[in-house]
Amino acid sequence: MDEYQLIKGIQQGDRKAFQVLVETYQRMVVNTCMGIVHNKVDAEDLAQDVFLEVFRTAENFRGDSKVSTWVYRIATNRSLNLIRKNKRKRFFQSIEETFSGGKNRGSEISDRRGDQPDQNITDQERSDLLHHAIDQLPEKQRIAFTLNKYEELPYQQIAEIMEISLASVESLIHRAKKNLQKQLYNCYKKRCV
Amino acid sequence: MKHDSIRKSLIFYLDNELSENEKAAVERHLEECADCRNFLVFLRKGMQVIEDEKKSEELPFFYTRLSAKLEEIAEPGGQSQWSRLAHPILFSLILALAVYGGLQLGSNASSFSVKQPAVSNIQMLDDFETEPIESFLLSNL
Repeated sequence: MDEYQLIKGIQQGDRKAFQVLVETYQRMVVNTCMGIVHNKVDAEDLAQDVFLEVFRTAENFRGDSKVSTWVYRIATNRSLNLIRKNKRKRFFQSIEETFSGGKNRGSEISDRRGDQPDQNITDQERSDLLHHAIDQLPEKQRIAFTLNKYEELPYQQIAEIMEISLASVESLIHRAKKNLQKQLYNCYKKRCV
Repeated sequence: MKHDSIRKSLIFYLDNELSENEKAAVERHLEECADCRNFLVFLRKGMQVIEDEKKSEELPFFYTRLSAKLEEIAEPGGQSQWSRLAHPILFSLILALAVYGGLQLGSNASSFSVKQPAVSNIQMLDDFETEPIESFLLSNL
């Protein structure tokens, strides 16, 4: 059964077709979400929401793009929405902490990092450092970089998912790598982990 | 190539995106520069995080959980349509009753409060007319 037959089946309410589609794309969706939100539990919850949206909106899928492109697009949009939501939440929490005199969580992390000698970098700290560096990238650079690095997608498919030109994807990924290296270099110099 | 430009191209060297000439220049510089060598190791280990995350474990019960969620959405389908209609209707009824009750109470209260002082005023005036204060005082003497 090819992917268009699967979609046709889902459009007719065929649960078996939906299960096949989920099993085909679940790892890819979780990886994409994980690359953007950097949290396994959130990534899995997002992946569930992505497939619910696929099931709900399958009737609107006209087949102009590949099914995987459509699914990737939903996954990236959902992940970005969660990041924006968390950002807003953190913003209001920081305001609340400012007024209540509580200590900022960010400064706690940097305090903790400052105490650690360079030799003792754990895998978790290295992972936190890279995630933090990726999070600092502008949204489009982050999406293009994640799809390229985590999913190893060709630039052409990234262009289709993001609905931008191939040249823009090349430029976004190039700038993302330069920015990432810059941040990692600053950290290397300051021995921040 | 200068030290800074070599350092800035290390991430592309790691991803094998440099031309043969650039790659050779980077490798020559790495032999001489300990700082760039150390940073390359740091960078390589950092980027390895992505490779490790890609080797994610199986996702047990992923479809089972998803299927349960689908059932949850599908099951109360008939009810949800009814509740979508029932809730606003019920709310409107309560609101209308509250407004009507409020209006009734308001009208009763206003008629009561207006009539009361009018009656008492009239009574007082009538009292003054029938018995002026002077005659009242004189009668007590």
